[in-house]
Amino acid sequence: MRASTGAALAGALIVWVALLGPLVVLLAHLTPGSVVSALRQPGAFQPLEVSVLASLIALGVILLLGTPLAYLMARGRLPFPRLWEVGVILPLLTPPLVIGLLLIFMVGPATPIGEALSHLNLSASDTFFALVIAEIYESVPYYVLGAAAAFAAVDPELEQAGALLGDGRWRTWRRVTLPLSAPGLSMALAVTWARAMGAFGAVLIIAYHPFGLPMQIWTTLQETGLSSALPFALVLLVVALPLPIGAYFWSSRARRRI
Amino acid sequence: MLVAEFEVTRRAFTVRMDIQVEPGERLAVLGPSGAGKTTFLEAVAGLVPLTAGEIRLDQRQLSSAARPQSDVPVGRRGVGLLRQNPGLFPHLTVLENICYPAGASAETATAAAARMGLHGLLQTRPQGLSGGEAQRVALCRTLQTTVRLLCLDEPFSSLDRPLGLELLGVLGEELRSRGMAALLVTHQLQEAQAFADRVAVLAKGSVLQVGGPRELVLRPKTAVVASLVGYRGWLRRGEQLLAIHPDRIWPAGSAATAGALSGRVVGMKPDGARIDVELESLGDWLGRFHCSFEEPPALGSEHSFRAEAAPVFAGSAAVFD
Repeated sequence: MRASTGAALAGALIVWVALLGPLVVLLAHLTPGSVVSALRQPGAFQPLEVSVLASLIALGVILLLGTPLAYLMARGRLPFPRLWEVGVILPLLTPPLVIGLLLIFMVGPATPIGEALSHLNLSASDTFFALVIAEIYESVPYYVLGAAAAFAAVDPELEQAGALLGDGRWRTWRRVTLPLSAPGLSMALAVTWARAMGAFGAVLIIAYHPFGLPMQIWTTLQETGLSSALPFALVLLVVALPLPIGAYFWSSRARRRI
Repeated sequence: MLVAEFEVTRRAFTVRMDIQVEPGERLAVLGPSGAGKTTFLEAVAGLVPLTAGEIRLDQRQLSSAARPQSDVPVGRRGVGLLRQNPGLFPHLTVLENICYPAGASAETATAAAARMGLHGLLQTRPQGLSGGEAQRVALCRTLQTTVRLLCLDEPFSSLDRPLGLELLGVLGEELRSRGMAALLVTHQLQEAQAFADRVAVLAKGSVLQVGGPRELVLRPKTAVVASLVGYRGWLRRGEQLLAIHPDRIWPAGSAATAGALSGRVVGMKPDGARIDVELESLGDWLGRFHCSFEEPPALGSEHSFRAEAAPVFAGSAAVFD
């Protein structure tokens, strides 16, 4: 092995260990007893339920609204395409805390949107609805950008081939575009899920209540210290990570097949 | 059957077509790269909107520039399109690809695949196919639809010449057995001649001449058409341009008639079993031309030839601009 290759390998190993480090430390500091005792406390599972439900709804909304947008972006069918891209990237570039502050000014109770929501008995401040909104804003760019890349990778001539063989637009999308972009879409969806589950900055500002898992970790850390917060961190990882990891392996296999 | 009188504006020029295809007829559109051949087929297939005119198939209006909202959608026009890229779906097996069109059954697909020599490949993915096999699958798949007119956009041009011509033969048989009309666009004269009943010559978006494959070679109307159907020698006399076809020029003394020429050998190169000889014209006509010889002549030697019915065009080289 040449010295330069060895150095590159060592560098890569350091980065890999450093990236996995926090997970290893978390597992090293937890005992089965501490996890069980934390989860046995009254209401311990409620933040998990809140986070999972809010993230599922956020994911559903993102999927429904983000997929057509991503497809139109990928096929260049939107006027002023750069403007649309900026709109999608902006939430990614804006610090989550700032997103939270801006959301207050946009959908808070004293705004026209807030007032309109109140007529529907909805409030975007310290409610489950606010939590879903915050999660959507923090995670939507990951899905739209990932899905747009997945759609762009599908050869438009294959879609034309589907149409030429008698399929309408929707049927071609379902039989050609969707299966061919599925590996990329699943990766985008999995990353979005992880971001929605872990959304914190914007959530802290507009949806302090009801507690989702990230808020539970934060308040436990503030009130009772690090060792009490760690079991919740583990729960968050156990719930948030399997989907992205599974999607990653499925997507790698599926990409090799098509 | 097909009546296509339309214009489609592209960036560089406007494609103007006025073409009719009879039931069961095979029409080749011959032209150089960038002539607008693909645009023509895409307009017939409904992939590009018209800027003027209309397209009708069996009295039914498919596209109209005046009422684009009533254009018949791509898959319902009764028009199939086979391209250079076979466009097989990589997530489906060969059999699933062939069965893709609505109404195609596994039985008919399997039988069609067997006819095309694909029987052992039905469970293979497209990535495992050779170029020729992939085009056979694409052809087989298109023939599972109920198209009345098949458009062929140089589907076999990326294959080597013998395989391309063989597949063209297979395709011809299928078309004949179904009585299906076809449009082939190609830049290869040999392909057009082997396939078509009539050939339309297209350059810069305009049809220059339509005629039988032999008629075009014998009587090209313009120098551009002549150059596209294989004339390679261009001799000038004043404002006149004489076109020489390398397959239609013989040493004097043969049975050929008319058009005596003489020339001095200035170069030569092997051309299969024969020698392609380049000659400098002597006499009234100025320029160079080619003739095929059995044995290599001496450089600088002078020979007489007869060019059979070589066409003469008025004008100058401006026709090639």
